[in-house]
Amino acid sequence: MEIDTETVLKIARLSRIKINEGESADIQKDLNRIVEFVKKLGEIDIDGIDEFNFGKTNIEDIRKDSVTIYDNTDDILKNTKNKNQDFFTVPKIVE
Amino acid sequence: MNEVKLTQLGIKDSRDLLNKKEISATELTNAYIQNIEESSKLNAFIEKTFDKALMQASKADKIIGTDSQKSLCGIPLGIKDLFCCKNVKTQAASDILENFIPPYESTVTQKLWNEQAIMLGKLNMDEFAMGSSNETSTYGPVINPWKSTGSHDPLTPGGSSGGSSAAVAANLCTGATGTDTGGSIRQPASFTGTVGLKPTYGRCSRWGIIAFASSFDQAGPITKNVTDSAIMLKAMSGFDPLDSTSAKIDVPDYEQELAKDIKGLRVGLAKEYSLQNGDSEANRKLEEAIKILNNMGAEIVEVSLPHTEFALPTYYVLAPAEASSNLARYDGVRYGHRAKLDTNDSILELYEKTRSEGFGTEVKRRILIGTYVLSSGYYDAYYKRAQKVRSLIKNDFDEVFKKVDIILTPTTPTSAFPLGSKGTQDPVEMYMNDIFTVPANLAGLPALSLPVGLDELGLPLGVQLIGNNWQEPLLLNTAFNLETTLAFENNPKKWWA
Repeated sequence: MEIDTETVLKIARLSRIKINEGESADIQKDLNRIVEFVKKLGEIDIDGIDEFNFGKTNIEDIRKDSVTIYDNTDDILKNTKNKNQDFFTVPKIVE
Repeated sequence: MNEVKLTQLGIKDSRDLLNKKEISATELTNAYIQNIEESSKLNAFIEKTFDKALMQASKADKIIGTDSQKSLCGIPLGIKDLFCCKNVKTQAASDILENFIPPYESTVTQKLWNEQAIMLGKLNMDEFAMGSSNETSTYGPVINPWKSTGSHDPLTPGGSSGGSSAAVAANLCTGATGTDTGGSIRQPASFTGTVGLKPTYGRCSRWGIIAFASSFDQAGPITKNVTDSAIMLKAMSGFDPLDSTSAKIDVPDYEQELAKDIKGLRVGLAKEYSLQNGDSEANRKLEEAIKILNNMGAEIVEVSLPHTEFALPTYYVLAPAEASSNLARYDGVRYGHRAKLDTNDSILELYEKTRSEGFGTEVKRRILIGTYVLSSGYYDAYYKRAQKVRSLIKNDFDEVFKKVDIILTPTTPTSAFPLGSKGTQDPVEMYMNDIFTVPANLAGLPALSLPVGLDELGLPLGVQLIGNNWQEPLLLNTAFNLETTLAFENNPKKWWA
C-alpha cells in the first residue's frame, strides 16, 4: 500500500483535519483505493506533452488594481459570534 | 386553470400565459408554493423564500405588459444551494457553513433576478457538490420522484444537483440552476427525465458560486424541456468583471436558434462511450435517437476518443487537488461552524477540530487525496502528469471536431439507482457514474443531457450531446429536433403528496 499510517497522519496535518484513531484505518483504505484507481495514468507516455490550459487568457479583462472601500462590515460580522468590536476573535497566538 | 396544471407548465409556457394575462405571477407562485409544501418527502427544497417570492411576484404582476418587462418576469425558479444569495442561508449542504448568510449575491442569480425571475428557495445537493447521488448532503438525500415499476424503493435523483433535478421533475419550480464539475447537471437530469445543460467553461460567471474545482465548475440550467433551457441559459450567461475566466463573447439568443433544419449535421458516435449491455432498452433508445437524427438528414460518423479511459483517473487527481485548495478557507474563524475548544487549545486545534467536525466523509476524503497529490514528492507523479493527460483528452476532442459537429453518447451507464446501493464499501464505485460526463468537463466543452424515454424499469434515460466550444446553439437546436420527435413526457406518478 502506497499510503501508510504515517502518510495518512501527515496529509491530515497538512490538510488541517483532525483524524481520530478509530477512523484512520478506514481513511487509509479509501485513499489507497483512490490512489490505485488513478495509478492508471502511469500507463501513458506523456513525453513532450504540455500541461493543460484553456488556450486563452483574459489578461486584457483583468480589473484595474485599485483600492475600493468595503463598508459592509456589519453584514460580515453577523456570521460569527466570535467577535470583539470590528474584529474576529481567535485563541491566543502570541505568548 | 387549476393549480396542478399550472405547475406542469415550463418556463416558456408560463411566460406566454403571463404575457397574455391569462394567469398572474402571484397565482403561479402560489401554485408552486403549495406544491413545495406538499412535497417535503422529496427533501428537494432546504430553504424556502416564499415571502420574497410573493413580493417578487406582486412586483412582476405590475410590470408585465409594460416596457420594463424582462425575459423571466414572473417565472418561479429554484436555486442550488451552491449559489450565494444575499441574506438567504447558503451552506453548500455542508455543516461547515452552518447558518452562513452571504452578504452578497452570485452573478448568475443576480442576472436571473435582473431578468425579474422569482426565487422560491434553495435546493438540496451533495455537500460542496461532491457526490453523484445526493447522499453526501448534510440535509439527507433528495428522493427521486421516479420509482421503478412495481417497487417502492427510494431512488437517487442523481448528484450533485439532485435537488434541482427532482424539483423540476416533480413540478416544484419551472426551472432550476445547477452546477456541473464532473456531470453534476447532466447525470441528475438523465435520472429524472429533465434537460440539463453544462455550458462551455467561461460561459457563466463563477463569482459567488461556492468553489469546488475552479477549472471545471460551470453553472447551467435544469429544465423541463429544451426551449426552457435556451431561455434560462441566455439569462445566466455573459462576461463578468468579477470572474476573469468568464468569456467576453456575445451571448446569442438561444431560443431563436431552435427549430432549425439539421440536414447535413455531422453526428459523431464514439466507440469508447458504448454501454456494457448492448441488449438493453438504454441501447435501443440510443439507437432510436441516432435513427431520428439520420432521418432528419444528419450524417452519422464513427469517431474515436482514444484517451477516454483515462478521463476519470485524471479527474480524480485534478478535481480533489483544486478542492483541497479551495476548501482551505473553511477554518472556523470568520463564519460557519466553529468547534468548541478546550482551555489550552491553540489556533491549530481551532482549524483541525472545526474542519474535522464540519466536513463530511466524502469531502474530507477528497481534501486528503487532493493534498496528497499536491504534496512534495508526489506532485509530478500525479498532479503534473494528470494535467498533461488532460491535454491529451482535449486533443482527442479537437481532432474529432475536425470531422463532426456534435458527439452523441449515453449520459450515464445506468438509470437511477436505489439510495444506499453504491459506494458504501468502495468510493470508486460511485465515481464510475461520471464516466461519460467527466470528459466534457476536462476539455471545457458544452454538453447537454436530453431525456429519450424509459428503460425496462420504467425509469428515465438520457442521451448526451457534446459540442465544440461555444456551440450551445447547435446543441440546443439538435436537442430540440430530437425532443420534438421523441415527445417524451415527464410525468412520474405522484406518490409523495
